[in-house]
Amino acid sequence: MNPNYNTTERELEYSLPFGPAHPGPGNFAVKLRLDGEKVVSAKADPGYLHRGFEKLMEYRTPIQNAVLSDRICVFEPLNWNLVHAQAVDELMDWNVPERAKYIRVVMVELSRIQSHIIWYGSMSKAIGFDTGFKLAFGYRDYILDLFENITGGRVYPAGYICPGGVRKDLGKNMPEKIRKTLNKINDMLSKFEKFDNLSILVRTKGVGILPLKKAIQLGATGPVLRASGLKTDIRKDDPYEIYSKLDFDIPTEKLGDSYSRLLILRREVRESIKIINQALNNMPKGNVIIPSLNSGTHINLPKGEVYVRNECSRGEGAMYMVGDGTEKPYRCKIRGPSLLHQIPVLEYLLKGSQIADVPAIYWSLNPCPADMDR
Amino acid sequence: MIINNVKGSKKMSSQILKTIVELLKNLFQKPMTVKFPHESIPIPGGYRGEHGFDIDKCRSCGLCANICPNKAIKMVKAPEEYGEKYPRLYPQIDLGKCCFCGLCQDVCPTKAIKLTKNVFLSTFDSKEVIKNPVPKK
Repeated sequence: MNPNYNTTERELEYSLPFGPAHPGPGNFAVKLRLDGEKVVSAKADPGYLHRGFEKLMEYRTPIQNAVLSDRICVFEPLNWNLVHAQAVDELMDWNVPERAKYIRVVMVELSRIQSHIIWYGSMSKAIGFDTGFKLAFGYRDYILDLFENITGGRVYPAGYICPGGVRKDLGKNMPEKIRKTLNKINDMLSKFEKFDNLSILVRTKGVGILPLKKAIQLGATGPVLRASGLKTDIRKDDPYEIYSKLDFDIPTEKLGDSYSRLLILRREVRESIKIINQALNNMPKGNVIIPSLNSGTHINLPKGEVYVRNECSRGEGAMYMVGDGTEKPYRCKIRGPSLLHQIPVLEYLLKGSQIADVPAIYWSLNPCPADMDR
Repeated sequence: MIINNVKGSKKMSSQILKTIVELLKNLFQKPMTVKFPHESIPIPGGYRGEHGFDIDKCRSCGLCANICPNKAIKMVKAPEEYGEKYPRLYPQIDLGKCCFCGLCQDVCPTKAIKLTKNVFLSTFDSKEVIKNPVPKK
């Protein structure tokens, strides 16, 4: 055998950074090692969006942390509001009013829908299907209009779901408006299905296959794990708020490729619409926050620790909080779903793929650098 | 893959037809966006925009400065020309640090601070973002 064989092979390889100054990944980079058009190895390069929330939270009171928890993930602030609020509620042993629980679920599911729409939009953009991108972001604005009416801000609700309930009641005609918007989202979904075969199928089917065994081994959660075939959802397995009273399905797919992740996305939006309609129909009257509580109330967190986990739109989002008898938490640990999706799972999927499939694989995991770096 | 076989090409042509129908439908619809500097979408009540401050209602309790998560509110003396009429400390709001959470509005016992609908706050002058406690004109 030629003794120089290995050196020549090495010379053919070259490296290509995917991000961080790229419209696709956004504040996140993957260092690719390529041989022609084939990816030989991929190394994730996180840390561009580290803001140190865990430390910042140790210097603030729970109501201030509620505002801060918006920023953990930019695409789904209300879901992270709920994770934080639940952690404080459980630590304080509070009974949240029933109406507040219903409002929380409605808002969280709306947030999940708009996050999934972003997922569809960015996925379309990544595979060169601009119509899908524009359609998705256009329809997302209808949900942002609702948030603007309810919380007072389009993207950031500023701790709308706060410890002890929610900060404001829904407006007078809000249930009707929400139902109208959901009809529009239904229209959007049927449009997505119409466009399905044309561009998306060719680019996503059979690309980035994640077998179930590997998915569990690498720590995938949420839609990514469900696309690989495991029927799991924290809303069913470990119900919080009012999810145990609601009737909804957990969509699963078998293959685990990019296309089945897209299918999961669309079916989950339909399930969320079902959940919101049920919650709106059964919403009781009453207080939306514990009556003795307002923004200025002085709270001392009791000594103890708590671990709360929720089904965020990207997977399992969790918070570990330790109280030490003062008004500020002693320790807050945030578990974001994107960390495991973006480092072990992404590196595994990219190895051996074609360079043209890199964006399709990357965006099919619904990544959020914000909640990964925290 | 799909385009290569006959069945696929039939599928493709039906897809193109569907797309043309969709295009014709959208041809007579209004655009989803507005041309921003000339017109903007209506802003609903309860929006968290610029602070409106009523100095006559203020009790100088300092709760707003305490609760502000970003420390954007500082209790300062009123400007000299109003010093005689308003001798106490009043909130000075730095809009550059503010995250518009509205906690100061919630916590104010006399409703002296109220967030308004004004969201057009971009400026070229960095001094303009600091709102001094002055009476309304």
